[in-house]
Amino acid sequence: MPSVRVPTVLRPLTGGASDVDVPATTVRDALADLDRRHPGFAAKVLANGEVKPFIRIFVGENDIGELSGLDTPIGARDEVSIVPAIAGGRDLPDRMDPARA
Amino acid sequence: MTALRATVVGAGGLGGPLALALGRAGLELAIVDHDQVELSNLHRQIQFTSVDLGQPKAMRLAGVVVARGGVARGLVTRWTPANADELGGDADVVIDASDDPVTKFAVADWAVARGRCYVIASALRYGGNVMAGAPGAACFRCLFEDPAVDAPSCADAGVLGPVVGAIGGVAAAVAIALARGDRALAGALLAFEDLRRSPDPRIVRFAPRPGCPACAAAPISPTAAPVRVAEVP
Repeated sequence: MPSVRVPTVLRPLTGGASDVDVPATTVRDALADLDRRHPGFAAKVLANGEVKPFIRIFVGENDIGELSGLDTPIGARDEVSIVPAIAGGRDLPDRMDPARA
Repeated sequence: MTALRATVVGAGGLGGPLALALGRAGLELAIVDHDQVELSNLHRQIQFTSVDLGQPKAMRLAGVVVARGGVARGLVTRWTPANADELGGDADVVIDASDDPVTKFAVADWAVARGRCYVIASALRYGGNVMAGAPGAACFRCLFEDPAVDAPSCADAGVLGPVVGAIGGVAAAVAIALARGDRALAGALLAFEDLRRSPDPRIVRFAPRPGCPACAAAPISPTAAPVRVAEVP
């Protein structure tokens, strides 16, 4: 079964899962399946039915933009990776904060 | 021999280890940051101590680099399209280590338009991205078309202190390679998903995006003259 590699920023939506198996034959189906199981997932990745401009999706090492977009077929051994643009972060809640040390 | 020059945008968690590494490698640095050192910065911005609280980050980081034998100057300002020529004009490589998406695109767009090498570094939670850019290669805007307007909140997601040190170190290594003419990673994104589990990045090579407005302003068009990059072992 294909799997989707979930970026860290979206893992709260998947209960912390980093890799999710999806019974899908296209990237579009994979995202739809994820959204059914984890409501709100698709809205983080898609806008107006297209991949948001600050997110790239890969099947293996190949950008779906150079393939068939969301209709890119995926097979049982394929891994779909979602790569968002990230900027930076403030402290984690469990940080070693000197103010609390 | 003339020293290589680098402009480091951002003097925080990423910029600190990055600047220290570049300074020790002999590059002359311009360090750009408008912010001041706060107490909550200290656990991950290890270039600072409590003595630095309230001081401009750019000046203090430059001082730390100089204290270790390097050459650096601090510039207390933001990188903007209006002052980019002044801040990066003499740099062999410009590195964005800020935490601001708009600044990252501004740095990348300027570098593409001026035909400069550049590195865009970012860190989030347990991982990060390092993108290497050079004239003739696909650019940051080819990869991510626009700054995120409703991306998963980076500020809320947080970042683990040691992660910024690791990503900053990688960014420094990539910057030194680019400045020395090694373009093996030009037009590639190194994506570190979770450094707690694996130090190995996914190396994503991407093609120039047709219609990319940044590339349209480049002196060397990626679509007209695609760069030939070496394979990374």
